[in-house]
Amino acid sequence: MEGLIAVATGLLAGTITGIVPGAGVTVAMVLATPLLMSFDVTQLLLFYMSLASMVQFTGTIPAVYLGVPGETNSLPAVIEGTKFNRRKMAKLAIGICAVGSVLGSLVAVAVTYGLLSVLVEHITVFFSNATKFYLYIFIIAFCLLVYNKKNILVNLSLCAGGFVLSVPGESDISPDFRYTFGIEDLQFGVPLMPVLIGFLIVPTIAKMFSSSNSNVFLPNIDIGFCKVIKYFRKKLIASSLRGSIIGYLCGFVPGVSTVLSTNASYSFEKKLHPNNPGKLLVSSETANNSGQFASMLPLLLIGIPITGSEIVLYSLLVDAGWSPFQFDNVNTNADMIFRQIVPWFVVANVAGLVIAWPLARHILKLFANSKKFLIATLVVGVLLLNTYLGVLDYRVWLYTVCLLVFSGVGLLLKKYETVPLIFMYILGNDIEAVFYRQMLI
Amino acid sequence: MSLFATVTSAQTITVINNGKSGGSFNARTLMYKDGLEAAGFTVNYENIGKISQAVKVFKDTKEPTIMVYANNQVYKQDLFHTSKNFIMLEYQQPLYVCTANHAKDKSGTLTVAHGKGYDPKLLRTVLGDDIVLVPYKNSGAMLKGMLGGDVDMMVNNQGKSFKYMESGQGTCEASDVLPIMAATVIGKNVNVKTIRRSIVNISNNDAFTEYHTSRKLHRPSGTWTSEYRLVRELEKGYEIKK
Repeated sequence: MEGLIAVATGLLAGTITGIVPGAGVTVAMVLATPLLMSFDVTQLLLFYMSLASMVQFTGTIPAVYLGVPGETNSLPAVIEGTKFNRRKMAKLAIGICAVGSVLGSLVAVAVTYGLLSVLVEHITVFFSNATKFYLYIFIIAFCLLVYNKKNILVNLSLCAGGFVLSVPGESDISPDFRYTFGIEDLQFGVPLMPVLIGFLIVPTIAKMFSSSNSNVFLPNIDIGFCKVIKYFRKKLIASSLRGSIIGYLCGFVPGVSTVLSTNASYSFEKKLHPNNPGKLLVSSETANNSGQFASMLPLLLIGIPITGSEIVLYSLLVDAGWSPFQFDNVNTNADMIFRQIVPWFVVANVAGLVIAWPLARHILKLFANSKKFLIATLVVGVLLLNTYLGVLDYRVWLYTVCLLVFSGVGLLLKKYETVPLIFMYILGNDIEAVFYRQMLI
Repeated sequence: MSLFATVTSAQTITVINNGKSGGSFNARTLMYKDGLEAAGFTVNYENIGKISQAVKVFKDTKEPTIMVYANNQVYKQDLFHTSKNFIMLEYQQPLYVCTANHAKDKSGTLTVAHGKGYDPKLLRTVLGDDIVLVPYKNSGAMLKGMLGGDVDMMVNNQGKSFKYMESGQGTCEASDVLPIMAATVIGKNVNVKTIRRSIVNISNNDAFTEYHTSRKLHRPSGTWTSEYRLVRELEKGYEIKK
């Protein structure tokens, strides 16, 4: 029952998030925090997995119908999906994407299962400080080279800013509280929520406010689901399988994960079939879901988050009592993944197919016509959320001050992707400890 | 007669969990939650992952609250065991010094993993000066560091030391010099002697055996006075000599 609640709420949140242009999994995780605080570790993982999977389904819908990406990785869907919409075949596009997404998820599960024994055999490699040290260097390098149009200086400044925010309070290598400037509330660090709201949600709201939305629904040819399946099986299955594998491998790349999955698969398919929007669309959307599953494995198995939304999840998991070191060995982690997470992952994907196919367009219409209301609700919602969490944490004034300051800075940074900052803020302490130990060993 | 000290009217109590999932503090806290609910309490179960933050919440609360605590935190957090907050001694364990097989014949400087709160001077007294102390966040991180081959030795708690020995990669010995770790239950805005009755009953109730067997915990024994005296003595062992 608890699993069902987590999956159902994750699916609902994912449906809404995917459809609201500009919103993403990270923003949804932040907004759902009051609910997530009552979840245990497994429920948090289930919620996240359902949310992230569902977003991959519904994110295609605004891309195809409105020509705006619901998620950052829906860009190929915008390019190829709108071609379908112009030919009044949007419903077919949504259908083949949904079927491809389910196939991609299943392939990802199967590949993981097949590779598990190799992983188990070499797991102690991941326990060593040196491995973590090189992984963090790899991830930081990606942060510097991937975001903000590869502007290293901007990314470096954001990383430095995030690290500075991670410093006050308890360190991972020393028993003392540091840089608290006599403020007792800073002993527990700069609070997470104002950082996320200020640097993630406020810029998102600002972008939503300034974006224009064509909001045009072209009349479409109705098409049955059986026909979609038949079309998929005959014409698209090979592209979908190719996308699954490429997406799965790219899903492990820190920082870019599913964005790389989608685009790499799209580019590869474009070389093979440059003028076939169906194959291109299916390949990229399948890769999206396959990559989503793969991207969670480093977090689940060795406790290293590799995407922005996983960093937020990681923080919530730790607050819920999860420790990347809680399991004696990878067998236990793998057991948890395959017994508790994977069955629900499959359910979430099938539910995604069922929901995305008939319902999403109606929900999209509702949202597209009430943009101002949506923004106002979001603003009030985040203010209440911050105050509520501040009260719960007995640090409401610090939350409020931080929110004001970070929102101001967040607005100034609205043109930039702030993921490097969030990454360093949340993992800064661990990175510092790993680097320090590496010098000693 | 029920083993529980059942409450006659609905009483609400907050149980703060500062333990990690899979750990003994977490197991204990869950056991008390279940037990107190069975005894008729309404339990607010609060998950606060960081012990330092849990202590702040505990200090600030105005509601009846209990939490599992340890003597190795008292100096850092300025929250000592007193007759007003001490409910029960959970268990006590020595610290263990573990050595990896590959390091047994090693000459020269040895690297030693230790918890970030351990007194470096004391560790050097026990292990000698020819060591490099490598701090880790917690006992689990230390264990992984040892298994991953980061360090030659570690100073860790009983549970993690036993797991290390099970791996076959090294051996561990209980230290009679390093301070004893004692886990306790403390309370605020509660009558400690009354609530102790419920807590001890829960600990001794077969219905909650699973928490003991799966976590290898020891059931409490002794009177409130003797346990309190012992805990006060043990917490002195964690004073950091600067």
